[in-house]
Amino acid sequence: MQLKRVVITGVGAVSPLGNDVPALINGIEQRKSAVRYMEDWNQYIGLRSLVAAPAEVKNEKLIPRQNRRSMGRMSIFAAQATQQALSDADIDREALSTGRIGCIIGSTTGSAQSLTETFEIMVPTKDLTQLNSTKFFQCISHTAAMNVSQYLGITGCVMATSAACASALQAIGAGYDLIRLGKQDAVLCGGAEEIHPTVTGSFDILFATSTNYNQSPHKTPRPFDIKRDGLVCGEGSGILVLEEYEMAVARKAKIYAEVIGYHTCGNGAHISQSSRTGMVSCISNALSNAHVEPKDVDYINAHATATVQGDKEEAQAIGEIFGDHVPVSSLKGYIGHTLGASGALELIASLAMMEKGCIYPTLNLEKAGPDCEGIYHVMKPLSKEIKIMVKNCFAFGGINAALVCKRSNVQKMHIG
Amino acid sequence: MDKQEIIDKINQVFEKSFEIEKGKLQPQANIFEDLGLDSLDVVDLVVVLQQKFGIKIRDDQRIRNIRTLEDIYKFILILKDEGKNTVN
Repeated sequence: MQLKRVVITGVGAVSPLGNDVPALINGIEQRKSAVRYMEDWNQYIGLRSLVAAPAEVKNEKLIPRQNRRSMGRMSIFAAQATQQALSDADIDREALSTGRIGCIIGSTTGSAQSLTETFEIMVPTKDLTQLNSTKFFQCISHTAAMNVSQYLGITGCVMATSAACASALQAIGAGYDLIRLGKQDAVLCGGAEEIHPTVTGSFDILFATSTNYNQSPHKTPRPFDIKRDGLVCGEGSGILVLEEYEMAVARKAKIYAEVIGYHTCGNGAHISQSSRTGMVSCISNALSNAHVEPKDVDYINAHATATVQGDKEEAQAIGEIFGDHVPVSSLKGYIGHTLGASGALELIASLAMMEKGCIYPTLNLEKAGPDCEGIYHVMKPLSKEIKIMVKNCFAFGGINAALVCKRSNVQKMHIG
Repeated sequence: MDKQEIIDKINQVFEKSFEIEKGKLQPQANIFEDLGLDSLDVVDLVVVLQQKFGIKIRDDQRIRNIRTLEDIYKFILILKDEGKNTVN
């Protein structure tokens, strides 16, 4: 069976740096940090990390009430990012109801804020009668995919990947596979997430969050840095339009890049500890799937969340495969770790790098930790032609994902 | 609470919870056909009326007969008169 080729023809983003793709890219180019001190988080006993990278809910009333009522914060982000991506790809609304366009959006859980509100209503009184009809739809794991598909009338495959920090990349990978197999012509793929004390708290309990920079939030997270002390949660949504190559060419769509390889796998070892072995296996298989050698790769967009253990394992995994020849950077210093959205938001920023021939550096990386040495860290903007790039995402639960993209020479693109 | 206060309170629910313009809130307005509510909204309407008036009506079969805004006004007034619920 001849597999079809898959290209990216649209992007949309709501991020801590702003509510569209240009805001995200401009913010990164200006080396802005979106990390803030969270004023009301100090009321939580035992929560030591009081920083996050919030996004802003804006213009939500443009979404009709009966679509919006089942949307928590993350679904609003996802709906807006999807609309941007569709507009960018120049795909009209009618095409969404043909059954040939799908929607795969991942997140760690449903809306954390809505989950909290639900339990705050239900638990103290053991009374369900105060719950409204749509809380359930805001809380469930497939809330973003479900809400976006309902709102836009999408009748193709609707699916939600829920693999924490690998959710978005798994969504993109699943969309890639569906198109390759000819089951869909295009898929809106990505992820969504929202910040909440319970989300940061889940990492804080495990001593995985940044706690030393509450009074200087812009200095954290610090991926690969010797003074890194953990992750900082962020929120938003990134959506990409993946499309079958021939269809994209026929309709003269702009093509950002071709997806040429993908792999996802489990570590099968430990629930929370990262595994260099699993990462190496995942990246190697993605490269093999793409039929490229490590030497062919021009840039690696790292997962690197600034945890002590995760960054070490990733640096060593990258070093094992690529040595110190391929530039590596992480974008978490700008927008925090947007968890289920990170794979998509960071891929969109990486496509901008590909377009501009400039690699954005790892913000807050001033001196690499000795355990993260041996790879080519990008610490200031680096002019370089990117023909092939790799995007990594590694999640709690030992879930790895890696995507390989190739610059397209068919049509010119413009991001940001 | 007099009749007008009840009407005002119910209208506020439709304005705030269902984002319906004040001008559309006429007593004869059908809450489904004219105001665009659906079955999920009715669940929410019950929840918010319970909160606003301190009543328990979720299992009251008379809710099924409600069609217009005036039906709701009357229903709450009846509950007040019945004294079964504290309408406050």
